[in-house]
Amino acid sequence: MAAVPGISLRNVCKTYRSRGSAVVALEGMTLDCPPGSFTALIGPSGCGKSTAMRIALGLEDHDSGEVRIAGQAPATATASGITGVAFQDAALLPWRSVARNIALPLEVLDRDPARFGAEIAKLIELVGLKGYENALPGQLSGGMRQRVSIARSLITSPEVLFMDEPFGALDQIRRRQMNVELQRIWQETRSTALLVTHGIDEAVFLADYVVVMHANPGRVVEVIEIPFPRPRRDALYGTPEFHALTDRIARVLHGQ
Amino acid sequence: MASSRSLWRSPALRNLLILLMIWEMVGQLKLVAGGALPPISDILIRFWQDRADYPGHVAATVWSSTLGFVIGNLLAISAGVLFVLFPPVQRLARGVNIAVFALPAIAIAPILVLTLEGNAPRVVLAALGVYFITMTATVVGLSQYDTRSADVIRAYGGGSWKVMKLVRLRGAVPDILGGLRIAAPNAVLGAILAEFGGGGRWGLGTYLLGSLGRGEPARLWGIGLMATLIAGLSYAVFALISTRVLGATRSVTLNTALPPGDGDADAPLALRMALMIGAAALPFVLWWAFIRLTGVPEMIAKTPWGVIDYLFLADASAVARAKLGAALLQTLPITALGMVAGLGFAFLLAVSSRMMPGFIRAFMPIALVTQTMPLVALTPLLVLMLGRGLSVTLWITISVTFFPAFVLLVQGIQRVPQSVLDLPRAYGASAWKELRMVSIPAALPYLFAATRLTVPRALLGVMIAEWLATGTGLGNLLNQSRGYLDYGMIWTVASVSVCLSVAFYYAVLAVERRTLTRLGMQVVE
Repeated sequence: MAAVPGISLRNVCKTYRSRGSAVVALEGMTLDCPPGSFTALIGPSGCGKSTAMRIALGLEDHDSGEVRIAGQAPATATASGITGVAFQDAALLPWRSVARNIALPLEVLDRDPARFGAEIAKLIELVGLKGYENALPGQLSGGMRQRVSIARSLITSPEVLFMDEPFGALDQIRRRQMNVELQRIWQETRSTALLVTHGIDEAVFLADYVVVMHANPGRVVEVIEIPFPRPRRDALYGTPEFHALTDRIARVLHGQ
Repeated sequence: MASSRSLWRSPALRNLLILLMIWEMVGQLKLVAGGALPPISDILIRFWQDRADYPGHVAATVWSSTLGFVIGNLLAISAGVLFVLFPPVQRLARGVNIAVFALPAIAIAPILVLTLEGNAPRVVLAALGVYFITMTATVVGLSQYDTRSADVIRAYGGGSWKVMKLVRLRGAVPDILGGLRIAAPNAVLGAILAEFGGGGRWGLGTYLLGSLGRGEPARLWGIGLMATLIAGLSYAVFALISTRVLGATRSVTLNTALPPGDGDADAPLALRMALMIGAAALPFVLWWAFIRLTGVPEMIAKTPWGVIDYLFLADASAVARAKLGAALLQTLPITALGMVAGLGFAFLLAVSSRMMPGFIRAFMPIALVTQTMPLVALTPLLVLMLGRGLSVTLWITISVTFFPAFVLLVQGIQRVPQSVLDLPRAYGASAWKELRMVSIPAALPYLFAATRLTVPRALLGVMIAEWLATGTGLGNLLNQSRGYLDYGMIWTVASVSVCLSVAFYYAVLAVERRTLTRLGMQVVE
């Protein structure tokens, strides 16, 4: 793969205005995600981490600065199907079966879902939902729905994968299990991944780079490299090196 | 679920049986107005004797209302989609929408009979009866989509149409079905009203009209119950379909983000003004176009200008104004009085419903049944029982406002979470204090909504009663003018009653907005 960054934000500014008051969501945010890397955005509520991701996906406009996804403008990149996305709360269509929910991005991109039957079956197996192809979201547990959401984000074989707190609705134990699985899935696809999260543990466990943000105005304060070799295992959570890094990130988060 | 449902049903069934038994006894003993309420056995016997009459009339009514139902709903759903995709169109059509909602069907039935032929008036009135309900349900359903699902579509470069196709249309199905369910009895009522006001040989309305003068209470009851049965069945069919569909459509988790509004404040002032003026003018433009298209002679079909001419400029305009004024003075006070009584009673009963849940559970099914009873079939029965005095008008108005208001209010109060109710109690508040602090404020938005929504019904009820029973007011004026071939007056009464209804709707809405904004509450659509 070329040296074109998977995700690149240059000096991006965004201000929300409503009736006289203005909130600076992002002030000159710059971010580079090398191709094939896993980056985690972490920060308090209102620091603009979700806004940054929504801008990168073309879901929201920015006031100034430059945004490039694999060298293209966000709208071009998403419409050509090189991105994948998973949101907080799965956001599955309740009337579609697991398989048809996974096929949804194909329909948006005007590709024929019938030609992707093998890929869909493979993804369902990859996220461990074999046998649930025809189940409706209402018949699944919260963790299973999140797996469907992850599978859906991978159906276009994306070069760039966005995740906004995909496991935010799960409890701590389920989250750790899902993180191990997510790492395995991501390693198979080798895409550039950007994860928005509240959890320091999660960020350190999954990411190559942890980008710490502060609020008012929303900005990047530090980028911390996570050197642990992959695949990382559950035991990593108990090591002193892991704690040293989470402590350091916590201190940066609290402005010390 | 199954057990709570059967619990819900059995006392209702028991109460229904008790009610039927009391009815039979009261009828046998001729306790009400010298036998105006016949015992059920008499009604059934009469029904059996009349059995040869029913199939033709029932078939005619079902056919017209079905046709109107289909046409009206197709228009309503297409309009709803159009309004949501292009919000300015919705604002432009607001005047027409409110007019369709507020028009008392009885007032325009004679007009439709004058301008259209054959079965058309029945179909049109049935279609008008369903349009507003289904259109509103479609707009609400399409507006309250899951923003998270829409984000997924947009994150893959999908535009508004993709979001509409893949998320919003399917997501709106339960709302649309809910609308169809409420609209179905309205189609039946519309068809019967047109039959009633427009001659023809077949139809339950015609049958009712033909049986009115014969002094046969048992037959009138038979027709009334048959009309209720048809309306009730049409409701039940869609209730069944929607419970089937709903299972798969309810979102699995709750979305806390609201869909973006229609951006009313963003549009420039000039555009907003233009849309407002256009919205007010459009109903009159359509009225004028309707007359031109049907090609009915000017003598019979009046344009908006024709009505103004009749009422203010022509030689006899002073006489016309005096007649109209006298009729309004009779109709409006009784409508207002009946509405205040009906709404007040509904409010009192609803806010105290938390204290006697058993009673409410048993009473709700009866309240729901009365919702599907076609008003025009109910009125002659009330006339039989209450005579032709003012009290019958009052009772009809109270009953048509009470039941919808009660259902709406109880549903509103039931949405108050238990924890909110528990809070005052946890601090030892008395039942009265809890009522004052929680239930009454919670019910207030629904009281306003109920007032707005029952105005046209109240006016319709009063006019039917005046037409059939008391021989006073607008209803009588309409009926007389038909006899005198006074076409100008027919059009005048129709347009004045629609304008009054719309004006009252907006007046309530204005008070509602101001009050609720002050209290920090939202207007219930």
